[in-house]
Amino acid sequence: MDESQDEPKDFIKLKSEKLSVDEVSELVISPCCGAVSLFIGTTRNNFEGKKVIHLEYEAYTSMAESEIKKICRDVRQKWPSVKHIAVHHRLGVVPVTEASVIIAVSSPHRAESLEAVTYCINTLKASVPIWKKEIYEDEYSWKENKECFWANSEK
Amino acid sequence: PPGAGATVSPASEGCPPGDGGSMRCQVSVLYFARSAELAGLRCESLWVPRQVTSLQLWEEIVKVHPRLAVIRDQVVFAVRQEYVLLGDQLLVLQPGDEVAIIPPISGG
Repeated sequence: MDESQDEPKDFIKLKSEKLSVDEVSELVISPCCGAVSLFIGTTRNNFEGKKVIHLEYEAYTSMAESEIKKICRDVRQKWPSVKHIAVHHRLGVVPVTEASVIIAVSSPHRAESLEAVTYCINTLKASVPIWKKEIYEDEYSWKENKECFWANSEK
Repeated sequence: PPGAGATVSPASEGCPPGDGGSMRCQVSVLYFARSAELAGLRCESLWVPRQVTSLQLWEEIVKVHPRLAVIRDQVVFAVRQEYVLLGDQLLVLQPGDEVAIIPPISGG
């Protein structure tokens, strides 16, 4: 690794292929960092007693990428010691137990990367234009994050 | 002259003259998730007033796709990739601007 090229980087990817924890971790590893914190969002097999067959994700891709970039920018303002940030989100069909999102952050010490990962996933759920459809045996349902301020949460 | 995959819809009929200025322009309207199911398509070019409130713009789109009316209370727009609530906010639209219908999100 060329240490002089170790400038802070954001790695943002939306893809339909299976996500890799190894790949995302390796993106953020840095010689100056003693901590890499990770969040993995996986697909549950049930919702309110109904069996989930799989999830389907779609995105307003260009805007999703720009909103994730904004989140990265905010992370660096709040936690200036954060080095690299990686956000990979899967699109299309995601089978149960597979990952739909992986977020990794590196920092010299662990507090910042742990807090930054939490901030990333919470803010992603509130602001990034990605939609999830849960497919059950007989029906499907478009999900709504409780973090989404324009969702009709009182029904 | 639409791009590949887009269809052109005529300007809404019954629109009073001088409404929002008589100037209209063609914008790309993008539909996602439930709004794509209700509208029956993912994108199209529509002629809309250049100056229009976000609520008026919604109403123009609902004239073309009446089934969208059921989600009015749950959607926002993204105009040039910035979120806009449905309401009094005045939009100044340019030809080719992207206007996306954004149902409640569920990423992550």
